[in-house]
Formats: sequence, C-alpha cells, structure tokens
Amino acid sequence: MNDYVIEMKNITKVFPGIIANDNINLQLKKGEIHALLGENGAGKSTLMSVLFGLYQPEAGEIYKNGEIVDINGPNDANKLGIGMVHQHFKLVEVFSVIDNIILGAETTKMGFIRKKEAREKVKELIEKYQLEVDIDALVEDISVGMQQKVEILKMLYRNNEILIFDEPTAVLTPQEIDKLMESMRGFKKEEKSILFITHKLNEIMAVADRCTVLRKGKCVGTVAIKNTTKEELSEMMVGRKVTFAVEKKEATIGKPILKVENLTVTSKKHKNNAVKNITFTVNAGEIVCLAGIEGNGQTEFVHALTGLEQVTSGKIKLNNIDITDASIRKRSKLGLSHIPEDRHKHGLILDFSLEQNLILQRYWEPQYHNYGFINKKAVREYSEKLIKKYDIRTGQGSVTVARSISGGNQQKTIIAREIDRNPDLLVAFQPTRGLDIGAIEYIHKQLVAQRDEGKAVLLVSLELDEVMNVSDRILVMYEGEIVGELDPKKTTMQELGLYMAGAKRDKEKISNE
Amino acid sequence: MNKVKEHFKRLLSNIGKWFKSLFVRVEDNDAKLLTLYKKPQTKSILSSLISIFIGILLGGIILYIMALASSGISLKAAWDGFRLIFIGVFNTGRNAQGKLTFGFNGTNIGNVFFRATPIILTGLSVAVAFKTGLFNIGAPGQYLLGTATTYIVALSIPTAVVPAWIVWTLAFLAGILGGALWGVIPGLFKSLLNINEVITCIMTNWIAANLVTALFDNNTGVYKHLLDPSPTKNFAYLYKTTYNGVATSKMGLDKLFPGSQVNGGIIIAIVIAVLIYIILNKTTFGYQLKACGYNRHAAKYAGINEKINIVYSMAIAGGLAGAGAALYYLSGNTEFYWSTYQALPTTGFNGIPVALLAYNNPIGVIFSGVFMSYLNVAGLQLKNLTPFNEFITDIIIASIVYLSAFSLAVKDILTGKFFKKRGHIVKIEEEKAVSLKTNENTKDKEVIG
Repeated sequence: MNDYVIEMKNITKVFPGIIANDNINLQLKKGEIHALLGENGAGKSTLMSVLFGLYQPEAGEIYKNGEIVDINGPNDANKLGIGMVHQHFKLVEVFSVIDNIILGAETTKMGFIRKKEAREKVKELIEKYQLEVDIDALVEDISVGMQQKVEILKMLYRNNEILIFDEPTAVLTPQEIDKLMESMRGFKKEEKSILFITHKLNEIMAVADRCTVLRKGKCVGTVAIKNTTKEELSEMMVGRKVTFAVEKKEATIGKPILKVENLTVTSKKHKNNAVKNITFTVNAGEIVCLAGIEGNGQTEFVHALTGLEQVTSGKIKLNNIDITDASIRKRSKLGLSHIPEDRHKHGLILDFSLEQNLILQRYWEPQYHNYGFINKKAVREYSEKLIKKYDIRTGQGSVTVARSISGGNQQKTIIAREIDRNPDLLVAFQPTRGLDIGAIEYIHKQLVAQRDEGKAVLLVSLELDEVMNVSDRILVMYEGEIVGELDPKKTTMQELGLYMAGAKRDKEKISNE
Repeated sequence: MNKVKEHFKRLLSNIGKWFKSLFVRVEDNDAKLLTLYKKPQTKSILSSLISIFIGILLGGIILYIMALASSGISLKAAWDGFRLIFIGVFNTGRNAQGKLTFGFNGTNIGNVFFRATPIILTGLSVAVAFKTGLFNIGAPGQYLLGTATTYIVALSIPTAVVPAWIVWTLAFLAGILGGALWGVIPGLFKSLLNINEVITCIMTNWIAANLVTALFDNNTGVYKHLLDPSPTKNFAYLYKTTYNGVATSKMGLDKLFPGSQVNGGIIIAIVIAVLIYIILNKTTFGYQLKACGYNRHAAKYAGINEKINIVYSMAIAGGLAGAGAALYYLSGNTEFYWSTYQALPTTGFNGIPVALLAYNNPIGVIFSGVFMSYLNVAGLQLKNLTPFNEFITDIIIASIVYLSAFSLAVKDILTGKFFKKRGHIVKIEEEKAVSLKTNENTKDKEVIG
C-alpha cells in the first residue's frame, strides 16, 4: 500500500443534477507521471479539486503514503505537498512574477518580507528546471505560456511533491508544449509525482507512465502507457471508436463572401500596428484557416472584423457591403457569426441561465418578444430545440446557470447559438481550445457541415492538426502580416511550422511590402 | 340539504388533505413545506429574517449593557425598550400603572408606511444600479436634486390657474427628472471616460448639496421667494407644498391608519417597485441592462451598446431616488430645511442597506424598506417612552442594520456552504443527495472536468 504517494478511494461527489464523481479510485506512485484522461464533463477537474481540497466529497477517503488525510482546503493540500496549476490561472495580474510566487508563503522577519532570500530561491529553481521567466515583470504583461511557468514555480517554491496540472497544454503553442513536457520529465527525475489532466492523446503517449480514464463520472480503468495505443485510449474515453481524420468532400467554392482590403489595426497593448496591411478573400463553401502562433495579430484582426475594435485603415466587405465602421449588431444582422476566442469573457454571460445565453444574439428578434416583453414560452421552446439539436448536456436543462456547465458544453452552447443563426460568414476563433476528442470531432463536423451548406468559414487556429485537417486553404499570419498562402493537401506540417515561425514567406507577399 | 352537507364534507376533507400534504410526504411528492424550504428563494427570505432577528437580539443586549452601565436607567426600562424594538409599532402608550400596553396603533403603523415611501425608492435606486453592475452611492445627491425640482415646480405653478392634480403630476415628474439628470452625470463619465462611478457619485452628491443651498439661500438664492417667512420658520424652511394646495392624495389610507401621516405615496412606491421588477425580469430592456451588468464584454460582443446602457441604468437609478424625494415632500406634512451643504440626506444612504438586505430584488426592497422605517418608528417609541435618548436609539438601529447585512452569511449556513463537512468518512445519505439537487450552492463554482 505504501507504494502509492496518493491514493483516492471510492470518491463520490454530487452536484445539482449530476454525479460528477461516482465511486472513483486513483493511485499515484512516487515519481510517476500519471495522466487523467476523459471527455469534458467526465469529472477530471472535479476529482482533482477534491484532492486539492476545493470540494468536499460526499463519500470516499484520501490516503497519503498509506495514511488517511483530511483535506479541507488548498492550505491543507499545500501542507501535504500537493500543488495545482489550474486551467484558468490564479495569479494577481498587477503583481510582479516574484510577488505572485511568494504570495501566501512569504518568509518574513518581524512582519517584513524577506524578498532577497525568496529571489535567490526562485532564481535557483528557474535555473534548475529551465523555466526562464523575467521575475520582475508584471504578470499582466507576460504571455500565457510564461504565466503558466509562474504557476509551476509557485508549486516548486512551496516544495510540493505532488504536482497537479489541469489541462496545462490547452493554452500553449506547440513549442511551449514541448518545453513543458521536458520540464515534466525533469520533475519526474526529482522523484516528484505528477497528475496530468488532459484530453490530448499525443501528449499522454509522449510523457505519461500510466493513465486513468474517466467517462461520465465513472472510472473506466487505469492502463500502463507502454501496453496501450492511442486508439485504445480514445475508445476507452469516448466509449466508441473515434476517427482522427476529418471526413469531408471536395469543396465547392462559390462567390466571395468576405473581402479584407489593406486592413491595418492598432494594438491596444503595444500601441504599434498589430495587423499590418492584410488583404484576402473568403469564399462561400470553403474553410479558410488563419494559422499562426499566438500573439501574431489574430486576436486584433478578429476583433476588428467582428466590430469589437476599431480599424485603423483599410476596408472590410461582407457580401460586398462595406462593414468597416458598422456596429456589431449590424454586422450580425448582415450574416456574420462569431465564436469568440475567450468563451468566458465574450462568449457567455456566466450568471445568466442557459436559455438566456442561447438568445443572446437574437433576443431582439420579433418572435422572442411582444412589445419589449420577453416571450418566455418562445425562448424556452427555442432553447429546448437547440439543447436537443446540439446535444448540450447540463444538470437542469434550460434554466441551468451557465457558470455551472462544463467547458465543453459551454462551448457547444456558443456554437449552437452562432451556427443556428444561419450566418453567411462564420468566424471561429480556436473553437476547440480545451475540448476533448469527442467534442472536437463534433465541432469539426459542424464546421464542415456549414461549409457544405455554402457558408464561408474563417477558422483561426493555433493547432497544426486542426489547421491541416479541417481547412481548404491556409493563410499563415506572422507578426501581423499574412506571410503565406498554402494548400493543406500540398504542404507538410514542417513547412507550415516554418511559415508560422517566420522562417519562410511567400515571395509575392514580400514584394507587396 | 344532504347535498350541501355532502359538499361541505368533501370541502373539509380536501382542506384536511392539503394540510396533511404540507407536513407529510404524499405519494411521490415531498411534504410541501419541505419543498418550499428547499427553494432558493425561501432560503433568501429566511436568511434575511433570521439576521434581522439576530440584529434585534443584539439591540436588546446593547440596551441591557446601557442600563447596567448608567445609574439612571433601570433594568426594567431595558426590558421595556427591548419589547419596544420588537413590537413598538403596536405600542399604545403606558397605562395608569405605568406599564406598556400593546394593541393596534394606527398612527404608528401609518407612519411606518409614510417613512418607508422614500426609503423604498432610494433602495430601488441602489438595487437597480447593483443589478446592472454599478454602485450608485449618488442616491443622496439625486434625492436632493429631486427635492429641489419638485419644490420649484410644486410651488411655482399657481393652482389658481392650473388644477392641483396637474401641478402635483408635474412636480412628481420634475422630481424624477431632477434625480435622473443627477444620475446621468456619473453614468456618462463611466461610459465615455470609464471613470469609476463611486468617485463621480460622491462628487455629484456634494455638488447637489451646495447647489440646492445656493438655489434657496435666503439672501442670494434664485428661489428665495419660496421660503416661509413666518416667525417660527424664519426663512429656514421652504413653504410646505400645501401652501400652493398641492399634496399627495390620501387614497383612503388615513381612514385605515387614523392619526398618521400616511398617504398614497406608499402605494405609488409599491407600484413603482413592481414595475421595476417587471422591467428587469420580463423585458428585453431589462435583459440588456442585466447583460451589461453581469458581463460588459459579452454584452458588447452580442451587439448591445453597453455604454448607453450604463447611462440608462444610472438615469433610472437617479430617477427612482428623485421619485422618493418627490413623494416624501409632496405629502404636504413634511418640511424642507434648505441649508443642505453640510450634510447629505440619510434617506439616500439608507437605500444601500435596504437594497442589500433585499438581495437587490425590487419586490424584496418593499419589505426591507418597510423594515427600515419600522426601526425608525420603534426608535421614536424608545425615545419617548423610556429613558434611552435618541443617540442610543440610533446606535441600536445601526447595529440591527449592520447585523441584517449578515444575511448572506446566514444564507450560506442555510445552504450548508458555511460549514464544510469535516471527518474522513462521510457516508452518503440519500436525503443529502436529494437536497443537494435542489440547492443552488454550486452557483458560483465551476463544474468542469
């Protein structure tokens, strides 16, 4: 029994209308990387929250080194050497990196913080594990990848032995993911134990020793990675066979829907141009993918396209109507749908119910109100229809508060709302970020279905797999410019990677400058 | 005859069944009272009531400490005082033996409603702003400006020419407009320049305080002709609106509560509260306002003009505070002391606890507003009938209000969020699982996994 640093026995956790964890067992060996695999809503995060003391289980026990322990909150967990990197980071944005790391574990002398010692310790850790961060920068000024390093340093600073990572790669670029994997192997060498929540099979195959699979709150089983395959894992996770390739017919390209002409957008953050003089067209019946590493102007471009930010110069035309200065509502009426990058910031009103969120883009349409009074019956009917059609799973149906819905179903809610408006142009920014295979497969199918119906789809993605599999045409964005136009059938991932890293660019694009 | 008997019997047995179903599980339905208890709304109301109760108990303890500490006050007086806080409104004075007597006291009850009128409206003002993500601490200024515009219109249009009810209506609207204008100013600053509304609200409060003083100053004010020169008033007060024959209709309430100052204002206030409830919860306009309040970015993304909605929200909040002022001063039995530059009207600030106590629910504000004014009247009883002076009364009222604001904590206790389960092995009970289903205690937690 003492083989295991952590043993969770028969954990059961119930939420309104949902049993999130149903009698789950999990054993973590010392010095192993243990992956926790499951679809969105399978109960992975809940289980880890139980281990970290954020939730109290209705039943079950937790053992550390064979001894029963009582974890009533993150502080208890910390004392036991358990640290966690959350999916949404818990950092103080206006504090510096070093302040964030020592927050809550400050070494003090007579009430004064002894920063010098802390600095040295942090610097040592940075060197030892090669987690380069500028420790004096403010957290709000550093990239998401850097912020994650800060979270990791926080755990290391507290000498945690058991490290929990909640979907750490969801927000990282491919290069950053490789580095993270390396760090994890480093921790393993140091005899630290890692629990790694994910639904990306490649990462599990690359780094994990064992893997526990959860499905719909139940434990499906634990397997050693040596003795398994990707296909077997995905079948365990989803409960059926999954196809990795996206099935699609040849695209039938129609008339141009979106025309972007010499568009320049100023960045709010850096005051220089984030989008520099870009020109392209998206036609009906094709999926155009805007590929690129995060922070190369994609966000600013999509904000300008959808009306969230103002354009500095250039023109945007939708169906040959100039929408450069049109209001957001007008753009949406003209047939533009937008699946936003940040589903919590823009996509949903978390304190509204599911049905209130589903009518967010059409509450003003005549069938949903009578003289300004919301037609409750019509709204409910519409919401029930979408829930059924798009298979949105929640505890209490239409009246569930959006905040309590799992990430994948939140995303499905947004997609249902945006696709059901029957747009001419669908802009999807990282629509599969942080989702599991089943949900990704579903969303890709929806995008292809939109294309086959003759809609124009503009997909912004950071994931090479997605770019290669889904798109009909690839535009690579680098430092605010479109540096290449590629055909996914004729190019390779390596070539695409070179374009994304700025090492290669099309000749004609250079002559345009 | 038999038929009637039969009918009667059936009726009785039905009533009996209904009562039974309240307490006992019938077929698949839980006992009705239990179902009612499990509703989140019930918990909100219950927690407010419990914290009020605790607050009053604390008030009683303070009374006893005061009595013990000062030689002039006997313990009996403290006991009297305690009873007065609890049911002072039903006090009918002291009998020949000097004992407190209780019964229906129309004057007190009527006065509770009269004083509740403006507090309900300032409470609504704060609640509407809260619902839309804004903290309207500018209610006192809006209230003051509403007072000024109401008086100016009510006293300037001669009722000899224009019928009194029209003047009343105009004055009421002027009050709303004055308040709304004062609410719009911080709203504009917030929406156009993103300046925190708390700062601008505090500034508009003091601007209002000085502006109103300047308008009615007995030497230089533009409206100094509206001051009452009679020797007892000595230019310190404005004329009552009755001077021009303008006063809110009693709507028969004076017959219900004889001897009190109550008038139709309370009915208007309740109607406004219901209207606000409908606007916020049943209309697309309310949907927009709340969308902006809960998540500005998502509202903007959905094509809602979040800037104009901030202004609308502050205009409504200001208008409500102004309406409160208009109803209070149009009653005909209130007087306005024009020199306001040193202190802001407490009615405005009292809107904040009233709104919080009601969880910003417009219907709830009616009850919490009545409760605040109930405490006021009980305080007056305390001052008149016991040796406690008015300052002690104020301390006690303050502590009750303070404790009442703990209703959120009490709610957490009721929903089981406050005490986390301790111990290693907690057997899952069937009943727990059922009650968890109806709880909304995971509202602010995410279930991702």
